[in-house]
Amino acid sequence: MAPRLAPAGAAKLTWRLPLRPSLSPSPAALRTSFSTTSPQNVKLGWSTLPSRARPTRFNQVTSGLPAPTAGPAAALKRRAQSTPVRAGVLAIKKGMTAFMGLTGARIPCTVLQLDRVQTVLNKTRKDHGYWAVQVGFGERDPKNVGAPMLGYYEAKGIAPKEQLAEFRVRDEKGLLPVGVQLMPDWFYIGQRVDVRSNSRGMGFAGGMKRHGFSGQEASHGNSKNHRTIGSAGPSQGSGSRVLPGKKMPGRMGNQRVTVQNLPILLIDNELGIVVVKGCVAGPKGCVVKIQDACKKPPPPGEFIEKTMQLLKERFPNAEEHLQQARERHLELKKARQEKRIEEILTGGWEPTKEQAEMMDRAIAEDGHESLGEEQATL
Amino acid sequence: MNAAPLARRPLSCLKSGLRQARQQKIFSRSMATRAAATPKTPSQVPDHNFYRLVDKKSKTLRSAFAIYPPTQAAAGIPLTPVKTTNPVAALHDLQIKKLDPTGARTALFARTREAAKVGDILLVTHRRGGEPFAGVCLSIRRAGIDTAVLLRNHLGKVGVEMWFKIYNRNVAGIEIVKRRLKRARRARLTYMRKPKHDMGSVAEYVSAWRKSRRVFQTKGRRGRRLLRGRMGRAGGRRNKGGERGREVVVVVGK
Repeated sequence: MAPRLAPAGAAKLTWRLPLRPSLSPSPAALRTSFSTTSPQNVKLGWSTLPSRARPTRFNQVTSGLPAPTAGPAAALKRRAQSTPVRAGVLAIKKGMTAFMGLTGARIPCTVLQLDRVQTVLNKTRKDHGYWAVQVGFGERDPKNVGAPMLGYYEAKGIAPKEQLAEFRVRDEKGLLPVGVQLMPDWFYIGQRVDVRSNSRGMGFAGGMKRHGFSGQEASHGNSKNHRTIGSAGPSQGSGSRVLPGKKMPGRMGNQRVTVQNLPILLIDNELGIVVVKGCVAGPKGCVVKIQDACKKPPPPGEFIEKTMQLLKERFPNAEEHLQQARERHLELKKARQEKRIEEILTGGWEPTKEQAEMMDRAIAEDGHESLGEEQATL
Repeated sequence: MNAAPLARRPLSCLKSGLRQARQQKIFSRSMATRAAATPKTPSQVPDHNFYRLVDKKSKTLRSAFAIYPPTQAAAGIPLTPVKTTNPVAALHDLQIKKLDPTGARTALFARTREAAKVGDILLVTHRRGGEPFAGVCLSIRRAGIDTAVLLRNHLGKVGVEMWFKIYNRNVAGIEIVKRRLKRARRARLTYMRKPKHDMGSVAEYVSAWRKSRRVFQTKGRRGRRLLRGRMGRAGGRRNKGGERGREVVVVVGK
């Protein structure tokens, strides 16, 4: 998108223009010099073109034209087919093992563990341009969280999370209540999922390892040139240049890898694990995103309903809690702005049992004394 | 806070007023030393603590944010952290319980004196037909449910090695044909692949073992019963079909 100036910036620009030799041109003069600027455009930037020169005026919805095939709405529609219906979860890769079937089949599998996966935010078409659910994983010490994010979690009524990730969903039906926990039973055994993670980083690798080049011969007069990539392209006749995208040595791995359509072999809420068939990119302990496979039909409607019902049963007052947290956040935010936060910290103080007893004793003693003094004064 | 004493305090009396002030001071000090405060006010406010951002140089409070308990979701519903740090081991236990209910397979390759060791000659019976495979155990790869043994033998003067997953349903039974005289001083006897150390075919040992076993079976009925009692299994059940026949047959020694 072309950079646009905010109205304030536009105003500054007008000050810089050498319209007049005087330092402060009168507002009237400014108005006349920019008379062609329509107030409508000033809102989003500025344009010196007359409004009728904008070609968009020919492509109005009212003119009976079909919906545009490009643009945000068209893009969402185009991608709807490949966007999962439901949000996914974050997990940690715990390692690989085997799954021994009852018929004697041995299936290699990967164990993925979910730790307090909570929904944090719903992104909507209206506010963000697309539908998505932000999900958090684990727990993070608040001392390792910056102030802006502390405020963010405060407003959600959620403890700071170790990881945050976003899962695109097809439409508003995929949005979830904020603050609810997603357990392994969010999926079912036999379901196909896509698993995304960063692959193991290999560091700087040569062409042979990184791209599978053959390298050079070991003998036949070869000298000190066995694993190099060789020629990087033709010479003078073809432009004497290296073509863009030429495969060369460089950093290998640590890239996002998606393994598609992995069947789920086992789910266990108690252990918090989802076991998928086959391997998943990345070392043990890497963060993994699990979501319904985008190239398979979505889970059956009854299953989706059942999971949503479970969420409601487990967290009946999620919305209420979010609302309360929001209100509390606004209150605290205001206090922070007005430098009153210390008062709030001390104001809500509740004594422990011992302290309460001590205080009661002190008050009682004080009361006796003051009574005695009153009598004395009388 | 303590409105009652305040109300009782005679306004004219300076001394008691000062005492009141002193009392207040005690309270305020204890308030400041409190690390995390819980808001007292209405029940509407969700339960949370505060995290204080303190300026390092001046040690003054810069700001503070509400921190909700990490073990609670919306309004006090517990969010339990995952129990075991190693769910892979837990998964192994779960599966071993299912595939080896008697614990015989686990016992055969446990780290005990009686268990099979590297260097022993083992005989593996496979459920998918074919001849039982015997060989010297070159290594035991212990990996929970994925535990496997490597056996080496010579079939027609060609060295053959086979891995067997001990918990696999297709492995019907593992028997110790002959124990190594002395404990091997290596975990993996890869040197036995070299011609100098190669044991060759173990067919002789197996046939001798079979013979002794037959003798044992016909003559020493009592002994066999004893064996059955020890393992909780009978070797004769191996060939029977049906549910019971599918059970594991692991006979240790003779």
